Amino acid sequence: MTDEIILSVTKLRKWFPVKSSKIFGEKQSVKAVNDITFDIHRGETLGVVGESGCGKTTLGRTMIRLLEPTSGKIVFEGRDLTALNEKEMRLARKDLQIMFQDPYGSLNPRMTVGDIITEPYVFQKMYSKKERIEKAVELMKICGLDPVYIRRYPHEFSGGQRQRIGIARALALRPKFLVCDEPVSALDVSIQSQIINLLMDLQQEFGLTYLFISHNLSVVYHMVDRIAVMYLGNLVELADKDDLYQNTAHPYTRALLKSIPSLDFSEEHKLRAALKGDIPSPINPPSGCVFHTRCENCTERCRQEVPPLREIAPRHFTACHLYDGQGRLVEN
Amino acid sequence: MGEKLLQVKNLSTYFYTDEGIVYALDDVSFDLGRGEALGIVGESGSGKSVTALSIIRLVQSPPGKIVAGEVLLDGEDLLKKSKAEMRHIRGEKVSMIFQEPMTALNPVFTVGRQIMESILIHQHKTKKEAREQAIEMLRLVGIPAPEKRIDDYPHQMSGGMRQRVMIAIALCCNPQLLICDEPTTALDVTIQAQILELIRDIRERLGTSVILITHDLGVVAQVTDKVIIMYAGKVMEYGTVRQIFTDPLHPYTAALMRSIPVIGKKTERLNVIRGMVPSLSKRPEGCLFHPRCDEACDLCRTVRPELTDMPGGRQVRCHKYTDKWEETSHD
Repeated sequence: MTDEIILSVTKLRKWFPVKSSKIFGEKQSVKAVNDITFDIHRGETLGVVGESGCGKTTLGRTMIRLLEPTSGKIVFEGRDLTALNEKEMRLARKDLQIMFQDPYGSLNPRMTVGDIITEPYVFQKMYSKKERIEKAVELMKICGLDPVYIRRYPHEFSGGQRQRIGIARALALRPKFLVCDEPVSALDVSIQSQIINLLMDLQQEFGLTYLFISHNLSVVYHMVDRIAVMYLGNLVELADKDDLYQNTAHPYTRALLKSIPSLDFSEEHKLRAALKGDIPSPINPPSGCVFHTRCENCTERCRQEVPPLREIAPRHFTACHLYDGQGRLVEN
Repeated sequence: MGEKLLQVKNLSTYFYTDEGIVYALDDVSFDLGRGEALGIVGESGSGKSVTALSIIRLVQSPPGKIVAGEVLLDGEDLLKKSKAEMRHIRGEKVSMIFQEPMTALNPVFTVGRQIMESILIHQHKTKKEAREQAIEMLRLVGIPAPEKRIDDYPHQMSGGMRQRVMIAIALCCNPQLLICDEPTTALDVTIQAQILELIRDIRERLGTSVILITHDLGVVAQVTDKVIIMYAGKVMEYGTVRQIFTDPLHPYTAALMRSIPVIGKKTERLNVIRGMVPSLSKRPEGCLFHPRCDEACDLCRTVRPELTDMPGGRQVRCHKYTDKWEETSHD
């Protein structure tokens, strides 16, 4: 990992308009990603965690403009991606790829493995047909697939193998930045570790930068350098992984960590529900701090004022009124 | 505890498909004491869900068929019951909750009606009494303002709430055994913690025996006393949570534990179990795990190991723990 910033997002926002029940009613939107700002360094893995509906997938897709941002800036290697037109963006996408969660739904069942892996070359008009096949064979080998299966169809493969096909396709254009959207969530434990190891090896070999989206905090801890915690479309905490686990600042992060069923079965580690209630609707998020409805430290200020994301310790950011700009706990 | 509520003996369930016989469950035996909680852990295709469905006789037939074994509940063999008798037992003595809280409820009826349905079938109660009991059940499973929520439709509730409703339906006849098939897999971690706490709480308060089926070893560690590790339709290891987690005997269990990343533990690479789960219609010779086992020898490649009793009331299915192991050479 270097200090060079490869990609930075500034006040990135993605709101999805929803149909209003009243004809002249106020326009409503799902605030999936709400003014998020952070940097990713070259060669690092940034983990994004949060519960379903917190906007982590939307964030990943908006960052590479698979979804058009509502507002905000995405700067990749000094270039503002939001300013590019369609053609320029298609070229830029060589450097920005994504792999998906569902190894069953994300591969076209009517294409052979070879065609799936070489499809990015067809879009980018790269290489002759013969060269493409050579490349596909090489990619299959890199990802631990036997090239004799190049003419087979996705349904002939297991979940783990399909995920390898997805990785091979994502790597075809030799990207610099790869969004991994829940790449191991659909896999069994024994297969999960194979894919995690493969992703880590590939990062070493090709100097990749990952945005690793997952709801599984143990997997994230193993894979990543830094962790961003999201809640209801907002970034609530961002820190180096050990710092995040040892000096947890935000009450939501603390609750999330407490909720993981640990392998430790002793009485003091017995799981207790750390949060009451459900996630509020992202259409009408709570006023002030979005977490205040479930927070045990909630004060009047939390109900009214949106807490800004502040650096409370070196490289440790959180958005919570409990801390002042110097990272001290505020007396309430 | 101590007294046996459920005894499963040599249970085998096969599926007869076009590609051949799928040995989904092969010679599975275990006991469950009154008030006890048992975890059944395995990867997909290990037969853990088929175990549950076989116990309450909900295996779809054809293609599935329970070919051998006994399921004794309070000494009575459920496999010998008629369909009508089984309908009474399900819900009244044994209840089950499923993985998908989104699809397990009927979307066109209110949750109240769905809870009352079960009460009216199994108990002699008027509609008014049933409604009162339904409200009581919703309160028991921790749904706020149950008098109001009882008239909600499933889509008006979140995933965690729906799973609570499922648990309410399962519990309304006070069953002796509650089977939970991946009850929290579709839920977020904070909601999962709530539901697991509820299951634990119910067991303590009502004395219900619980079978918890999951692929998550962490969930088992938090809720149950005993664990069965299944692989390819067979029981590989059985013991208390403490025994299995601190000192796994079977190479599969040990490898599984090592392949899970743990927060706070620095590991460069995760342990990998090479290959994948064998096809249940074309099973390997010998031990079903031998193609993926680091310690496999000729004996493992040719002879199917039996479940061996070990000190401390544990059981393991591995040649390593038999006399034959000493006699063979190892590479």
